[in-house]
Amino acid sequence: MYATRVLRQAAAHAERTPLIRFIGKRSIPENVDHTPQPHPASPSGALPSSFGNGNSHASFSSYRDHAQQHGPLRKTIGAAGGIGAQSAAHLGPVEPPKGVYFDRNELPERFRRTPLTAAEIEAVETGGAALFG
Amino acid sequence: MEKGLRYRSRLILLFIILSYRPPLLIANQPGAEEKDLVIIGGGVAGYVAAIKAGQEGLKVTCIEKRGRLGGTCLNVGCIPSKSLLNNSHLYHQILHDSKPRGIEVGDVQLNLQAMMKAKDTSVTGLTKGIEYLFKKNGVEYIKGTGSFASEHEIKVQLNDGGETSVVGKNILIATGSESTPFPGLEFDEKRVVTSTGALSLEKVPEKLIVIGGGIIGLEMGSVWSRLGAKVTVVEFLDQIGGPGMDSQIAKEAQKVLKKQGIEFKLGTKVVSGENTGDNVKLQVDSAKGGKPESLEADVVLVAIGRRPYTAGLGLENIGLELDERGRVVIDSEYRTKASHIRCIGDCTFGPMLAHKAEEEAVAAVEYIKKGYGHVNYGVIPSVMYTYPEVAWVGQNEQELKSQNIPYKVGTFPFSANSRAKTNLDTEGFVKMIADPETDRLLGCHIIGPNAGEMIAEATLALEYGASTEDIARTCHAHPTLAEAFKEAAMATYSKAIHF
Repeated sequence: MYATRVLRQAAAHAERTPLIRFIGKRSIPENVDHTPQPHPASPSGALPSSFGNGNSHASFSSYRDHAQQHGPLRKTIGAAGGIGAQSAAHLGPVEPPKGVYFDRNELPERFRRTPLTAAEIEAVETGGAALFG
Repeated sequence: MEKGLRYRSRLILLFIILSYRPPLLIANQPGAEEKDLVIIGGGVAGYVAAIKAGQEGLKVTCIEKRGRLGGTCLNVGCIPSKSLLNNSHLYHQILHDSKPRGIEVGDVQLNLQAMMKAKDTSVTGLTKGIEYLFKKNGVEYIKGTGSFASEHEIKVQLNDGGETSVVGKNILIATGSESTPFPGLEFDEKRVVTSTGALSLEKVPEKLIVIGGGIIGLEMGSVWSRLGAKVTVVEFLDQIGGPGMDSQIAKEAQKVLKKQGIEFKLGTKVVSGENTGDNVKLQVDSAKGGKPESLEADVVLVAIGRRPYTAGLGLENIGLELDERGRVVIDSEYRTKASHIRCIGDCTFGPMLAHKAEEEAVAAVEYIKKGYGHVNYGVIPSVMYTYPEVAWVGQNEQELKSQNIPYKVGTFPFSANSRAKTNLDTEGFVKMIADPETDRLLGCHIIGPNAGEMIAEATLALEYGASTEDIARTCHAHPTLAEAFKEAAMATYSKAIHF
């Protein structure tokens, strides 16, 4: 038994080395380059210019077309509902319809804000100290 | 004093007004929960990604408009066709291959409705199984049609009526593909059919013409040929099997299928077609021109390929690009140019195969969760489930020749394999291609019984860079069909024992 083991060890170098190898437990490489690279099955083997350095937009206006802030900021000319989608003539008259006002100050006086008095203004500016002066 | 109090109360009111800040909306929709991943499409790519994402602890929603999970593969593709292929093969074998095996069979009848029901039972069982897996892995499933409202918000028209929307940090497009139509022939799924219609014909057609000699065409042609139809396959190229099939294997497959009764018209183009209502008339010509001919059939199956399906997805709303063949353009991590939107499966690059989509699904979720994924596009097996089956992985001889890559070949026929002999099932062979210097396996091509299962061994060997000697020195059980695989490896690096 022992002799066989010795013989086998001695012959180990003479044995062929398999091409297939045990590569060990798989682990995620520490540094992975996430820069966009062409897909291995892409027929062109290249990415469009819009895939650049992690920045998906070629210009600020392109970025703004896709940006999100409390909903899309997109206002593409020509798209339904966007600014510039319709000519001014199609938007109707500039004057507000009857009963609609653009500003509170156009309403009858009783609906307007009460003007601040000089004493109130002073009180605000002094942090309330003027009230006790 | 009273005046002082009045001033103070108005002052406080003023401070309150000045210090007011409107509440910040986190998502596009007030109150909408933001998901880690929203998947559009519940086919093989989408549902596998959804389950994997659930397993990785992501909050995930999957939107599917068919009303059943599994996509083309489970509902109208791989799975129902395998049911019909298996059962039609049994029927054909009982009719034509039972006597030599010592089995005397009486009157054999085809009950097509029952065969279709068996197919539907398989499909229903599997699709319900995915719904169970969704529940098990905490995947939210929405039945409806999803489209991009913005880069993070998907609007969904629910199948049961109404509308909802889902907001996702990451979005995965997995909308699959559809049959490519043939110009001038409109699909009615009765006489001019796609592969979907070919899975549900109400009766066996007397004559069936298959336009396209690729895998789908040959599989469905085999089903109806076995059930009694006179099948003619019209193929534009000079070889059947579609891209990737080794020429030597394709010739052998054509020989075997011809013996089974399928007629082939290779190098032939269909010029025009007309559906008269009673039958379909086709005008065909030699691909090189000059041999016009008229063909008639009860049913024409158009199987000229599939094209990506992204209609109605609203990609134009977010400016995503498609290439000239309608595929979503992605990078090596499946990202579109909007990096939180990824795309996998049939609607993007690579072969349109369910197992490729599954691999991509796992990799895409791993990229999202761990930043690292793996799919080896050089080692994706292909299988044609005709009888005998054809399967291959890696490079074929004509590809290596065209790239001037040196190679050596070893083959082993099933006629010399003991198990194939006992099964009276000896058609076909195993062919291995290896690097002449290093002996590393470059490709494996099999035509024969159980080729679709056997190719898994070649795929594993190829993935791990094995030499044909590595395969040949691995013990294979006797008597098995897999011994033919081992012997082909022996024939490649040295000599086969039994041939």
